[in-house]
Amino acid sequence: MEAAAIHALLTEKLGDAVLDVIDSFEKGSVIAAGSIAEACRLLRDEPALHFDQLMCLTGVDWDGYDESGKGKSVDILGYDELGRPEKSDRVGEGDLGVYYACYSSRHGHKYTLAVRVPRDAAQIPTVSGVWATAAWHEREAYDLVGMTFSGHPDLRRILLEDGWVGHPLRKDYVMPDQWQGVPLQGQDYAKNPFSEDDVVLPARPGQEG
Amino acid sequence: MSDKYVESTTPPAGYDPQREQWLDFQQDADLAELTQADSKNFILTTVDELFNWARLSSIWPVTFGLACCAIEMMAASATRYDIDRFGAGAFRATPRQADLMIVSGTVTAKMATRLKRIYDQMPEPKWVVAMGSCAIGGGPYFKYGYHVVKGVDFMVPVDVYIPGCPPRPEVLLDGLMRLQDKIRGRKGKLVTPKWVQDYASKIPDVKPEGGR
Repeated sequence: MEAAAIHALLTEKLGDAVLDVIDSFEKGSVIAAGSIAEACRLLRDEPALHFDQLMCLTGVDWDGYDESGKGKSVDILGYDELGRPEKSDRVGEGDLGVYYACYSSRHGHKYTLAVRVPRDAAQIPTVSGVWATAAWHEREAYDLVGMTFSGHPDLRRILLEDGWVGHPLRKDYVMPDQWQGVPLQGQDYAKNPFSEDDVVLPARPGQEG
Repeated sequence: MSDKYVESTTPPAGYDPQREQWLDFQQDADLAELTQADSKNFILTTVDELFNWARLSSIWPVTFGLACCAIEMMAASATRYDIDRFGAGAFRATPRQADLMIVSGTVTAKMATRLKRIYDQMPEPKWVVAMGSCAIGGGPYFKYGYHVVKGVDFMVPVDVYIPGCPPRPEVLLDGLMRLQDKIRGRKGKLVTPKWVQDYASKIPDVKPEGGR
């Protein structure tokens, strides 16, 4: 089924919950956050659609993007050349969001759903009841971007260890200098700790030349 | 093969092909006399030298691969490069039987605690080789790697650093030989090969124009 027809079908079934159409390289629809589980269930169960696979679930941080989706320059904090975490008092602004990339193995068509929520209320209903694979994808989006999925059966961190502070792929994330005693900041490599005498090694035959 | 390569294979001064060149007794004049062809009956050595020779001839690494450098480490242990020629081919599945830990890849914060535990479980004497840019100093993860330890020498003492991203198996073998030199405990001097010096001397001096 064509993307425009899928969008029309979604609009017919869900009404006002379909906010916008995505007409970029990947076609899709923007769905209101509260209706995303309903929309996903419709995509899966409608015989003409039959989206039986969730290919990917992606968390997005729109910090630094304006309303029309155009990017502008935002300083991403890292480590400076001495290996120390860069500090800044800039607070991130802009929405957070989730992209759902769906695929139908029966019809061979793809479709994308998008959800956009304000930064201070980043809560979305889970779709792990629709596609079971969404459970781990949502854990990843929670771990790295900080999305919260209500109704999720087991919302813990999946890549980073429990007790990590912050969500690293947010654009206003400040890098840690250590974590549970493991040093994460670098050292000054301009200051060579080895003197030249310490690296003298024996010569082997053939090297003297 | 060009001339400069032929030049580099000429034996060093004092090299006698008639003399037995095994171990490295020829570096010591007194011991070299004893290993002449007419005194084959006995060898004099010290317990330290004997033990060091035994240690450097059978360095057993622990099976420990972290990232793409581990692929090169596997290639080094396969038939084409064959790390077993240097006695280091027995990759042990437990740190308690291993002498060497080749940190081959990116050390994340999560892995660093496990790495420290594996290192602590290895019996003395033990050595560590930091293989690749990530293990040396974070590599490409230095700037934005929130989860990467910027050099495994923050966690464990490192004996040999092998740069590269990833280093080829030959470089790993060279690092292994450097570790063997270190275990042997011989002092020496790192000499630039003659063909490298010749090549460097042919590069014309380029001075910045305008002067500063």
